[in-house]
Amino acid sequence: MSVIELVDVVKQYESGEELITALDDVTFQATHGEMVTIIGPSGSGKSTLLNMIGLLDTPTEGAVRLNGRDVTDCSPDELTEERRSEIGFVFQDYHLLPMLTATENVALPTMWEPQLNKHDRAVDLLTRVGLSDRLSHQPTQLSGGQRQRVAIARALINEPDVLLADEPTGNLDQETGATILDELTRLKETEDIAIVAVTHDEQLVEYADRVVELVDGTIKT
Amino acid sequence: MSSTQLLRRFPSVLMAWRNLGRNRVRTALATLGILIGVVAIASLGMATAALQQQATADLQGLSNEVTVSAGPDNSHEGITPDQVDDIETVAGDATVVPEKTNFTTLSARNGAETRVRVTALTKADAMYNVTRGQVSNRFRSGALLTDSEATRLGVDIGDPVSYNDKLYRIQGILSSSQGFGGARRELVVPMSAMAEQDHYDSVTVLTTAEQPVNSLTTDIEAWFNDRDEQIVNVRNFAAVQQNVDSFLGTLQLGLLGIGSISLVVASVAILNVMLMSTVERRGEIGVLRAVGISRGEVLRMILTEAAFLGVIGGTLGVVVSAAIGIVIFEILIGSPLAAFRWHSARYLLYGMGFAVFASVLSGLYPAWKAANERPVEALRE
Repeated sequence: MSVIELVDVVKQYESGEELITALDDVTFQATHGEMVTIIGPSGSGKSTLLNMIGLLDTPTEGAVRLNGRDVTDCSPDELTEERRSEIGFVFQDYHLLPMLTATENVALPTMWEPQLNKHDRAVDLLTRVGLSDRLSHQPTQLSGGQRQRVAIARALINEPDVLLADEPTGNLDQETGATILDELTRLKETEDIAIVAVTHDEQLVEYADRVVELVDGTIKT
Repeated sequence: MSSTQLLRRFPSVLMAWRNLGRNRVRTALATLGILIGVVAIASLGMATAALQQQATADLQGLSNEVTVSAGPDNSHEGITPDQVDDIETVAGDATVVPEKTNFTTLSARNGAETRVRVTALTKADAMYNVTRGQVSNRFRSGALLTDSEATRLGVDIGDPVSYNDKLYRIQGILSSSQGFGGARRELVVPMSAMAEQDHYDSVTVLTTAEQPVNSLTTDIEAWFNDRDEQIVNVRNFAAVQQNVDSFLGTLQLGLLGIGSISLVVASVAILNVMLMSTVERRGEIGVLRAVGISRGEVLRMILTEAAFLGVIGGTLGVVVSAAIGIVIFEILIGSPLAAFRWHSARYLLYGMGFAVFASVLSGLYPAWKAANERPVEALRE
């Protein structure tokens, strides 16, 4: 069964007088243990698609299903709750909070729920991505590759079903990028999660189980 | 408790604290604004409390006095001994002190002269407190003189003064500034000194604590006067005290108003600081929202930041105000620790309360704005 499923999704924006169709009748799904890479030129709707999959944005038409449940008409607060429990995010710019340590950054998504606060799991995840000696370091004391690994650990703190990555290797050199992709591939198998990555990076395409190409808001087959 | 444990228990508090630490200069300036506002409110409040206390102390000697003098329809030149008996009947337990007054010029051996008011009475101990010497409860001989007059004439306790060709030995010295209404120059002599005058110029009734001054005034008026005839004038200073109290109340409101304006200015500064810091952290807050932190949690975090500014600024403001209060009370009352009585110390509490309230109020809009931004928009930065 698909973890995340988009059915006939249309997304339109109003930009001044103009109506822009960012996604036009897109159907997409990803399953456990699969890494899907979305490629396409700038302005093709990649980010919009990723926002739909990550429940950060809602479609104009069509349906979004998470683990078979229709979440299209959920309220913003319900979507926040779904993101908190089912989805992990990795961003191009890492987006770690500068005033928190690596461990605190990893535990951040669960921080406001004491019963969910997974400090030990945060330490465990950092150890698994090879940062056991950087637990109390602040982001500014870490290299780009180390920061992205902290971000990956953060994305996994809630034991998500889907991990979304927006240009995860975009700010890293070839070699560091490769270690991050190795890391993601390993996690995909050990955690049995679906990974959806948006990229320009040819290297990332090589690691993908499936590649989806977006052109002008539609999926090219 | 380590910061990690604290983070687990009070995430909003620790996040807010660390966020404030990121831009120390800005935090310090916002705190300074609040500090100034609190100092304005608390020290102005304490200053009026000190004035009030001082005025009350000054009026205290007069507030229990009822003074009776001859009215326009009195057939005698003053109050007769019979009328004094009547006043004593009406007054009950109160102390009734009949007085005769006159003016005279005192001269010293060295040629110095001074014009003084002369008061003749028996119950001198009820009416006067001496700064030096003594005042006997049966005042039959001797005299009391105000400080400044004794100095001017070069006389002291034990020296004689002459009134109406009789000599009186000075028993005690009175403070010149005692009472309400500035300096007084007075010679107090026994009743026998004015024996030739058969009426009294005034009668002072000193009420006991249980007797309301106003009702005694009304009772004495009702006894002597009717609608057509005003035999006696009866006055008390309760109305003066009320007027002074009401004036000080108005003054206090005005000063607190000025203080509040500075706190309003400070809260606008907080609004600005919080707005700027949330706009700067737009992307960061977007990340928080994306990873599943709810709107309410973001709101709480930013409100906690604003409350922190209020608490820090308020605490420092209270410390500074307390120091100012000590100085004010030392100058006005002469007793610095009186600043910490509830009457004035409550302004420290008000200042603190206003500071936290104003800060949280100023934080509401930035917090609401940050919490309700769509994560997609915030992350686009």
